[in-house]
Amino acid sequence: MSIKTVENIKTKSSSTKNLENLLTSEFERSKSFLFGNTQLREQAMDSFFRQGIPSRKNEEYKYINIDSLLKDEFVLNVNKTITREQIESLTFLKNVITIVIENGIFSGELLSLNSLPKGLTICSITEASKKHTETFEKYYSKSFDINTDAFSALNTAMAKDGAFIHIEKNEIIETPIHIIHISTTNSPAITHPRNLIIVEECAQVKIIESYSTIDSGAKTFNNALTELVVNANAVVDHYETEDENNWGYLINSTQVVQKQNSIFYTHTFTLSGSLVRNNLNIVLDAENIETHLNGLYLTKGNQVVDNHTLVDHRKPNCNSNELYKGIVDERSSATFNGKIFVRKDAQKTNAFQSNKNILLSDDGTINTKPQLEIYADDVKCSHGTSTGKLDEEKVFYLRARGLSETSAKKLLMHAFASEVTNTVKIDDLKKYIEAKISERFE
Amino acid sequence: MENKILTEKINEEYKYGFVTNIEADNAPKGLNEDIIHFISKKKNEPEWMLEYRLKAFRHWQKLEEPHWAHLSYQKPNFQDIIYYSAPKPKKNLDSLNEVDPELLKTFEKLGISIEEQKRLTGVESTIAVDIVMDSVSVKTTFKEVLSEKGIIFCSFGEAVQEHPELVKKYMGSVVPHTDNFYAALNSAVFTDGSFCYIPKGVRCPMELSTYFRINSAGTGQFERTLIIADEDSYVSYLEGCTAPMRDENQLHAAVVELIAHKNAEIKYSTVQNWYPGDKEGKGGVFNFVTKRGVCMEDNSKISWTQVETGSAITWKYPSVILKGDNSVGEFYSVAVTNNYQQADTGTKMIHLGKNTRSTIISKGISAGFSNNSYRGLVRIAKGATNARNFSQCDSLLMSDKCGAHTFPYIEIKDKSGVVEHEATTSKIGEDQLFYCKQRGIDTEKAIGLIVNGYCKEVLNKLPMEFAVEAQKLLAISLEGSVG
Repeated sequence: MSIKTVENIKTKSSSTKNLENLLTSEFERSKSFLFGNTQLREQAMDSFFRQGIPSRKNEEYKYINIDSLLKDEFVLNVNKTITREQIESLTFLKNVITIVIENGIFSGELLSLNSLPKGLTICSITEASKKHTETFEKYYSKSFDINTDAFSALNTAMAKDGAFIHIEKNEIIETPIHIIHISTTNSPAITHPRNLIIVEECAQVKIIESYSTIDSGAKTFNNALTELVVNANAVVDHYETEDENNWGYLINSTQVVQKQNSIFYTHTFTLSGSLVRNNLNIVLDAENIETHLNGLYLTKGNQVVDNHTLVDHRKPNCNSNELYKGIVDERSSATFNGKIFVRKDAQKTNAFQSNKNILLSDDGTINTKPQLEIYADDVKCSHGTSTGKLDEEKVFYLRARGLSETSAKKLLMHAFASEVTNTVKIDDLKKYIEAKISERFE
Repeated sequence: MENKILTEKINEEYKYGFVTNIEADNAPKGLNEDIIHFISKKKNEPEWMLEYRLKAFRHWQKLEEPHWAHLSYQKPNFQDIIYYSAPKPKKNLDSLNEVDPELLKTFEKLGISIEEQKRLTGVESTIAVDIVMDSVSVKTTFKEVLSEKGIIFCSFGEAVQEHPELVKKYMGSVVPHTDNFYAALNSAVFTDGSFCYIPKGVRCPMELSTYFRINSAGTGQFERTLIIADEDSYVSYLEGCTAPMRDENQLHAAVVELIAHKNAEIKYSTVQNWYPGDKEGKGGVFNFVTKRGVCMEDNSKISWTQVETGSAITWKYPSVILKGDNSVGEFYSVAVTNNYQQADTGTKMIHLGKNTRSTIISKGISAGFSNNSYRGLVRIAKGATNARNFSQCDSLLMSDKCGAHTFPYIEIKDKSGVVEHEATTSKIGEDQLFYCKQRGIDTEKAIGLIVNGYCKEVLNKLPMEFAVEAQKLLAISLEGSVG
C-alpha cells in the first residue's frame, strides 16, 4: 500500500463551506501521490466545485437532504483497525473469493492470491494503476462523465484506493467474488472507495458487493463508486447488499458499460442504513444487449433511501427490464427515480420498468418518478408504478384460514418481496437476504 | 399518386393565420411601473387593483425565468413586448350592430359567427361566448339570458367595475401573484379576460365559452379567467384560441383560476390552436399558462379537458387541489406536436381532503422533429385518507426524429392512499395500418382513424361542439406526418 495514514485533519465545521475547505486542503496535499492521473483528479475537483454539494433544489437530489448532513465535523483519513475475526464475522457467504475494502482502502488479507482461479486478477486499484497500466488507462473513469454528478466527480478527485478485478477473455469464474465494504472509523469520516471491474469478451462472473459498518457511534459518509465494463458476449451477475447501521450514510454509484450481445443482471438490496443513495447508470453501448435491474428496499425508523437508475439505450435491438419494490414503515422515506433513455438510433428497443411500493405507516413517505425519454419511434417502452397498503382482502383470506393478523401480514410482505428475491441465483445469498427480511418483519 | 396527395397535404398551412385590419390602441413597448399605471388607467381600475398589479410587478422583478422544463427556446425579451393592445373603437357596445364589421368578419372566418348566435337566441341550448381579442374582451353574448338565472358572465374588466367584492375575494386565491414567474407577470400586466360566477343551486343552462385571438403584431396576450361555482352549481366552460402567422414568437401568458364550492362541479375544456410556427420552426406562439382549480369544499368536482395542437411551445399544467372531502379531480389531455413544436404539459393533483379521487388520462402524439413531454405530479398529503389516483400516459411516435417523454412525480405520505401510474410509448402498429389498408382505406385516412381511436377516451369528454372541431384539428395537425 503506497498511502500511509497521516495525521487526521479535523475541522470544526458548521456549514458545508468548511467541508469544502477541508476537501481542498486534503486534495492539494494528496493529489500527487494518489493513484492515476493527477490531471484527471484536478478536472474532477473543478467539476465538483462547479456543481457544488447538491441541495434539494437540485432536481436529481430533490428528495434527500444531503447538504445538511455534511455540515458536521468530518475527517478524511482513517486508520485501519479491523481484525481478522471481525472480517470473518462479516463473510456471510461460503465458497466465495472475499475482498475487503476498509474505510475505502483495499485489504487483501482474506485473499490467498495463489488460489485464485485461472484468468482472474484481483489487486488494489493503486497496484493496478502501476502493474496493469494499459488496462487501467483504457477503462478507468471512461464509463461516465464527471460533470453529470457531483459525488462521482468528488470520488474521482479524492479516491485513495479500491479493488481492481479483471476477468480474462473466455474465462468462466464459477466462484462468486464478494467485495465487503466496511466502515470502522471511530470519528465521523468521509471515505471514497473506487472499484474497477473489467469483464473481457465471452467471460462470465458473479460479483457481490456488500456495504456495512462496525458499530462505533461515529457518522460515516461513504461515497463509493464502482465502474463495471461488460465486454462483448460476457455475462455478469451483480449483487449489492446495503446493510449499514444508523450512523451509516452511503452514496453508492455504479457505472456500467455493456458491449454487444452481453447480458448483465444487477440486484440491489437496501436493508438498513441511515441514508442510502444508489446511482445506477447503465449504458447499452452496442446491439443485442440484455439488461435486468432488480431492486428491493425495506425502510423503517428515520431512514432515507433514494434509488436512481438510468438505462441509456444507445444502439438498436436491446432489451432492458427493471423491477424495483419497496416496503416503507415508520417515519422513513423511499424514493425511486428511474429513467429510460432511448436515443435516436436505438430502434427496436424494448424497455420496461416497474416500481411497486407498500406504505405501512402514517408517517412514511414514498416518492416515485419513473421517467421515459424517447427519441426513436420503433420502440416498445412502458413503465408502471403503484403504491398502496397491504390488501385487506388478502389479509382476511389468510386470517379466515387461521393465521394471526401479524403472521398474515408477514406472509404477504414476504410474498411481495419474493418477486425480487427469487431473482437471486446464489443460494447462500438468497438465504441470507431472506433471513434479513424475516428479521426485519419481526 | 400517394406522394402527390401527401405533398398537397403537407403544404396545407395553418388555417387561422390571417390578420384583421382593425385599428388598435397600443401601449408603447416595454415593461415598467408606468406601463402598469397606463394599463390600469386605461381600464379605469380602482386603487386596490393597481396596488395588486404593482405588488405583483415588484415580485416579478425579483424572479428569474424558469428553465427546468424539457424545452429549448430563445428566452423572450420582456422589454420588447407591447403589453396592452385593444381593438379600436372601444366604446360600450349595446347591440351587435355597433360592433366593428371587420371584427365580425374575423370571427366569422374563425367559425364563430356572433350574428348567427344572436339569431339562435331562444332556440334551445347554444353557447354563450366571450370573445377576447388581443387580450381585451370585445363582446360577450347571451349576457341577458344568463343574468336571469343570476349567472354573472362578463369580461374581467367589467367584473372589476361591477362585482369588485367577488373579484377581490377570489382573484389570486388559487394562483397567487407569487406563484411562478409567468403568473407574477400576468398578475402585473393582465389586460382582460373572462369572469364567471354561478350562484348557489344553479345549473348553467348553456356552455360558456371564451374565444381568444391574438391579432396585433409585437404584442403579448395576458388574460385572466376566474370561474367561481357556488354551492350545488354546475358549469361547463370552453376555451378556444387562434393567432395570425408571424415570424416572431408571440408570448401568451394566461392565468386561469377555478373555485368549486360544496357539491359544485366545473368542467373546463380547452382546444388550443395558437399558431405553431412554420415548418422550419420559425415563429409561433409561446404558450406559458398557469391553470389551477381548487375543490374548496366537500363533494366538489373539477375536470380539465384539453386538446393541444397549436403553439410553438406549450408549457402548462392544469392542476386541481382536492381540499374538500370526497372531491374529485380529472384531467384528460391530448397533446399533438408536429414539425418543431415543443410541449411540456401535464397536471398536478394535490390530495388534501379525505376520500378524494383523481384520474389522469394523457395522450401525447409527436411527429416531425417535435418533442412532447408529459410532466405530472400526484401528491397525497398526510391525513388525506383513502385518496385514490389513477394515471395513464400514452405516447405515440410518428417519426424517427421526434421525442416523447414522460416525467411523472408521485409523492405519497398517507398509507391508505392508492396510486397507480402507467405509461407506454410506441408507434402506430404496422398490423393496424395493414388491416385498414387491406379494407381500402388509404394510409393518411387510416392514420387519422387510428389516432382518433387512440385519443377517443379524451375526445369523448369534450362537449359536442368542441369534439367535432377537435377531431378535425387532430387530422390537420398530423397531415403529412407519416409517409
